[in-house]
Amino acid sequence: MYSIELLNGLLCKKEEWIKAYRLRKFEEFEKLPVPSWKRLKLENFSIPDFKEYRKEFLKNDIDGEGIFVKDINDVSALDEFKEYIDVQKSFGISDKFVTLGEAFYNSGVVIKAASKLKEPVRISYSLDNENSVVIDHNIIVAERDSEITVVIDYSSLSENEEYMNFFHNGVTKVYAADKAVVNIVKVQRMSNSAYHFDSNVAFIGREAKVNWISVEIGSGISATSFITNLEKTASESSLKSIYFGDGESRIDMQYTMNHIGMRSISNIETRGALKDKARKVFRGNLDFKKGARKAKGEEAEYALLLDPTVKADAIPVLFCAEDDVQGNHAASAGQIDENQLFYLMSRGFNEKEAKKLIVEASFKPIIDSIPVEDIKESINLEIHRRLVYV
Amino acid sequence: MSEKLLKIENLETMIEDKKILKGLNLEIGKGEVHVIMGPNGAGKSTLANTLMGHPKYTIVKGDIIFEGEIINDLRVDERAKKGIFLSFQYPEEIPGVTVENFLRTAKGAVSGKQMSIMAFKKLLKEKIKMLDMKEEYLSRYLNEGFSGGEKKKNEILQMAVLEPKLAILDETDSGLDVDAIRIVAEGVKKIIENTDTSVLVITHHNKMLDYLRPDFVHVLIDGRIVKTGDMNLAKEIESSGYEALKNQLGE
Repeated sequence: MYSIELLNGLLCKKEEWIKAYRLRKFEEFEKLPVPSWKRLKLENFSIPDFKEYRKEFLKNDIDGEGIFVKDINDVSALDEFKEYIDVQKSFGISDKFVTLGEAFYNSGVVIKAASKLKEPVRISYSLDNENSVVIDHNIIVAERDSEITVVIDYSSLSENEEYMNFFHNGVTKVYAADKAVVNIVKVQRMSNSAYHFDSNVAFIGREAKVNWISVEIGSGISATSFITNLEKTASESSLKSIYFGDGESRIDMQYTMNHIGMRSISNIETRGALKDKARKVFRGNLDFKKGARKAKGEEAEYALLLDPTVKADAIPVLFCAEDDVQGNHAASAGQIDENQLFYLMSRGFNEKEAKKLIVEASFKPIIDSIPVEDIKESINLEIHRRLVYV
Repeated sequence: MSEKLLKIENLETMIEDKKILKGLNLEIGKGEVHVIMGPNGAGKSTLANTLMGHPKYTIVKGDIIFEGEIINDLRVDERAKKGIFLSFQYPEEIPGVTVENFLRTAKGAVSGKQMSIMAFKKLLKEKIKMLDMKEEYLSRYLNEGFSGGEKKKNEILQMAVLEPKLAILDETDSGLDVDAIRIVAEGVKKIIENTDTSVLVITHHNKMLDYLRPDFVHVLIDGRIVKTGDMNLAKEIESSGYEALKNQLGE
C-alpha cells in the first residue's frame, strides 16, 4: 500500500525540503481517486504494491564537464533542481499517477546539460521478479545553447505465469532554455503482463527545441501522456511515435502541444498497428493560445488494423484562441492496402511476409531516427517477434 | 513444335459483376516477345492482373497453363516463384523499405535460396550499370518520391534481378518521355538478349516496339484477341486506328 508509513521509510536520511515536497505530493495523492479509462475499458484499476528497484539503470557514466547526470536518489543530487521539481500546471495521464510518481519514486535521474553533448545519456530498466516495479522521476534541464539526448528503455522478462503485474509509472519533466535542443527517446517493450503509465511534460524556451520519440510496443496496458509547452517565440517541438498492440492490450496516448509563443512550431506523427483484440485511443491536441501568432502545428496518426477484432479511436482536436495560426490534422485507420499487398506478393513474398514487411516498413523511418544502434535492434527484434502470427 | 511456356485457353474473367475477358486465347513460346495492343477498356490490364493472380479478378472460365500446369488457383507469390513477373503500370510506394533490401529479400523469396550479401551486391551492381541507373537509388525507399520514369526503371531493375521466365510489362511506356522509353526498352532488350525470358508487352504505342522488335503482335478488342500479326500490324494500327480494324473485321 502507498501509505504514509511507507513514505516515511523512504524519506529517512533525505533533505528536509525533499521530505516536505514528497509529503505534500503524498497528501495530494491520497485525496485523489484512481481514474477510469472508459474507452479502454479500464476501470477499478488497483495500483500494484510498491517495491524497490535495485538494479543499475544508468547505463553510461558521462557525468563530467558540461553535463551533470545523477541518480535522483543520490544524496544532494537534487540540490540544483529545486526550481524545476515542481510543475505548477496539472499534467500527465492523471494527477493520481503523477503524484504517485512524485511522492513514491524508487528510481529516476536528474540531468543538467550546459554544452552540446554528442553521446546520448542512456537509461535502461529491465523488470524481473525481484525488481517488478519502476516508479521513476526524471528531471532534465538543458541550459542555453546546450544540446542533449536522453534514451530511456523499459523492458521486462517475457511473459511469466507467476508474475502478472510488472508495473512502471513514470514522471519526466523537461526544461529547454533558449536555443537549447533536447531529444528524448522513450522505448517501452515490456511483456503483455506489464502495466505502463508514463507522464511527460516539457517547457520550451525561445528558439529551443524538444524532440520526443516514443515507442510503445509492449505492455498489456499502456497509458502515456506528452504535454509540450511551446512557451516562447519560435519554440519548436516534434513528437514521433509508434505503437503496436496485440492480444488484449490497451493503449492510450494523449499528446498535447500548447502553442503560447509566437511562431512556435509543432509536429506530431504517430504510426501504429493493432492485431487480435487490441484497443487504442489516440488523443492529439493542438492548442493555440491567445498571442501565438504565426504558430504552426501539425498532427497525423495512421493506424493499420490487422484484424477485424481490434478497436481504434483517434480524437484529434484543434483549439484556436488566436486567429493567425496554422493547424492541420490527419488521421486514418484501415486495413493493409490490397494493392500494396498484391505488389509485394508479385515479388514472391507470401501474404504473411508481405503484411509483416508493410507494418515494419511503416515503423522504420521513426525507428531509424533513434540514435542508439542496439536499441534500434531490440525494437526491430521485438516487433518481428510480435508479428510472427500476423 | 516449339515448347510453349504459357498457354491461355478460352479465358473469361470478371471484376466485380463485369465480364472483361470473354474467351481469350494466347500462346507464348520460350524466348518470344509478344505484344498486346488494344483500345482503352479492351481488357489489357485485366489480362496482366489475371495472369499475376490479383484477387479482385475472378476466372470464370478457361485455363492459364504455365509450363504445362494449370495455375488458375495459384496464389500470387506462388506464381512469382514459378517465374512470372509483372511490371506494374502504377508501382506501389513502400516507404520504409530500401530498394536494395527489397530486392535482396524478393530475390531470396522468388529463388527460394538466400544469396550472400557480397554476391548479391555484385549482381545488383551489374544490373544497375546495365540499366544506366544511379547507385543512390538503392538506398532510397521503394518508389517513394520517384518520378514516373524512375518508377518504371525500377520495375525493370526488379525484372533484371529476379530473372523471371515470363515478364509481363503492363504499359511500362505510359507516362514516359521519348528518352525514358528508349532507356527502359533498351534495358528490357539487354535483359532478354542473353536469356530465354519470354515477354508479354502491353502497350498503346509503338515506340517501345521499335526497340524490342516483337515476334508477334496481337490486337485485343472487347476481351478477345481479334487479330494476330507481326510488326506490320502494329504499324497499320498506328496509321489507321482500331476503328478501321474493327470495320475491316466486321465487328
